Amino acid sequence: MDGLWEIVSDFTVRNALLGALILGTLSGVLGTFAVLREQSLLGDALSHAALPGICIGFLIAGSRQLWPLALGALAAGAVASWCVLLLVRYSRLKADASMGVVLSTFFAAGTVLLTYIQNHQLPGQAGLDSFLFGQAAGLLPSDLWVMGAVAAAGVGLVLVFWKEFKLLTFDPGFARSLGWPVRLLEGLLTSMIALAVVVGLQMVGVVLMVAMLIAPAAAARQWARRLETMVVLAALFGATSGMAGTLISLVRPGLATGPLIVLAATGLVVVSLLIAPERGLVWRAVQRRRTRAALESGRVLVDMLQLARAHGDESYASAQGMISAVYGADAEAALLRLEKAGLVEPVTPEHGTGRHWHLTEKGREAARRLLKEREE
Amino acid sequence: MMDVQQPAKSPWERSGARHGDTALHEPSLALHIEDLTVSYEYRPVLWDIDLNIPPGVLGAVVGPNGAGKSTLIKAVLGLVPVAAGHIYIFGRSHREQLSRIGYVPQRTSVDWDFPTTALDVVLMGLYGRLGWIRRPGRAERARAMAALEQVGMAPYADRQISQLSGGQQQRVFLARALVQDADLYLMDEPMAGVDATTERQIIGLLRDLRSRGKTVLVVHHDLQTVPQYFDWLVLLNVRIIAQGPIEQVYTLENLRHTYGGQIRLLQGVPAPDTAALQVGANEAAGTGASAPGGTGAPTGAPER
Repeated sequence: MDGLWEIVSDFTVRNALLGALILGTLSGVLGTFAVLREQSLLGDALSHAALPGICIGFLIAGSRQLWPLALGALAAGAVASWCVLLLVRYSRLKADASMGVVLSTFFAAGTVLLTYIQNHQLPGQAGLDSFLFGQAAGLLPSDLWVMGAVAAAGVGLVLVFWKEFKLLTFDPGFARSLGWPVRLLEGLLTSMIALAVVVGLQMVGVVLMVAMLIAPAAAARQWARRLETMVVLAALFGATSGMAGTLISLVRPGLATGPLIVLAATGLVVVSLLIAPERGLVWRAVQRRRTRAALESGRVLVDMLQLARAHGDESYASAQGMISAVYGADAEAALLRLEKAGLVEPVTPEHGTGRHWHLTEKGREAARRLLKEREE
Repeated sequence: MMDVQQPAKSPWERSGARHGDTALHEPSLALHIEDLTVSYEYRPVLWDIDLNIPPGVLGAVVGPNGAGKSTLIKAVLGLVPVAAGHIYIFGRSHREQLSRIGYVPQRTSVDWDFPTTALDVVLMGLYGRLGWIRRPGRAERARAMAALEQVGMAPYADRQISQLSGGQQQRVFLARALVQDADLYLMDEPMAGVDATTERQIIGLLRDLRSRGKTVLVVHHDLQTVPQYFDWLVLLNVRIIAQGPIEQVYTLENLRHTYGGQIRLLQGVPAPDTAALQVGANEAAGTGASAPGGTGAPTGAPER
């Protein structure tokens, strides 16, 4: 633990962790809206398209400070989304194909520019390639200020326009029927999502930034029953996975930060998809099994009552063999469940062999109720 | 056009001529539409619509698939771009009167997997009244609960909306419109996919709205129940085929014009105004019907 504390108290490390905390919170909050508004692909297109903008920003500014690079990324993202809109409007390409084409074109152009810059040994370019996969260690204190300002603006906007953004996401048609400037609000929200993507590029990298936006929100959706909870959980998940990934990349220099953060976040997604109550796969499988077992026990109970009635004696003991003839191997389990619930009990038969069961008073009552329900 | 024979004084029969000398235009009508055309990708979905709905009626908008029923409602709410025409609500342009309209969209138009509760959805009906930034408080909650009570959904107030049945979701939408406390209600298929009990409950609520002096216009899909539920009828197939009081408009001839001969009379059932009409199966194919006596307006445009 001493070693870990030493690392955390280091200046660069504290910078990086603070950046991860800010970025994780911001992308969790805005990612919630991106996921619910089904804008995940847009985030991907934006982050890939940002690469040429980053390179051009660097060429113009001549340094790798965050704000000129972010400005370039934002401009490239805007041009890219404009290209997607034009393609959808004037060509026969659908939205997803248009996004795919634009995203890869911009990314290719960005890669060409990046290799050009690296081959020409321009001053100050060291670490520019970290924009591909992210490098938390390269974060400057001035970068933190930019990230902090964007995060404050993003989270602040969501807090101020909470009910507006909520209705806009759930039912935009109804929002417009109230006379709200829906286009303006949508533009505001989408711009904030774009900004969150851009400021995260340095830490997470253009290739994987979309996961930072989507994964915490997708994991949070599994646990949340209200939008409030989902936003808070997504922020928490984002911050946790961001800091975890950053810490690992700092302890083991040479590992890129982005993939580590994304692995941490997607780990949360997998766990959430599996075990979250009500929505988790495992949870639902268990529920299904329970329901099936309850249904089957009910059927056995009713069958036993009908069998007893056919013999003119409700306390008639049925041979387990008869029940097994209908329910096969499940009969044993069903009878044991019913015995545990005090609805049936084993009896020693006066004649014949094998185990016999009869309904208890409680069991007869339950069976009569089920039979009545079935007849209705 | 197939307008119904009416004494010329009836307000819904008035021509669209502007009076010009007052700020209000046809203030005696809850909804007044002149020469409305809406098109979608160069195909008219609504063509040259003139529509008059007097206040206090419970009206149905009926027509085949692709007739533009939803588009008509969306045009009044300003949700679709209008190619030409004017829309007035209680005498003023519809854009100034949005706060007097309550809206029930098609249930399937939203994703019910959104993480929120029934009560929260109903509260959204008060967002317009609340104004910017302000959050709903205790008074709003009480009103939303009262509306849920009215639609019989109070026990489900805190339930996740994804866990509600289709009919329950529909009633939540209805409650959201109720808290809007509007003068004109526009509802897009509020009885689609609900069971018979819920349908009776919904029609009871609509009648209750009418008895409180509200005007209600409902896109309805079931021709058989039209004369039983409504007192006003608009027959639409890209253009207005007929409009007016139900007993004058609900005739076999008008319905034939609307559905273009796709109507089958049920065997052994008397006159059409006692119901018992059924839309042919080809209506479901969404081909739409050819408008009668047409000036060439294309039909079968997609429902938006």
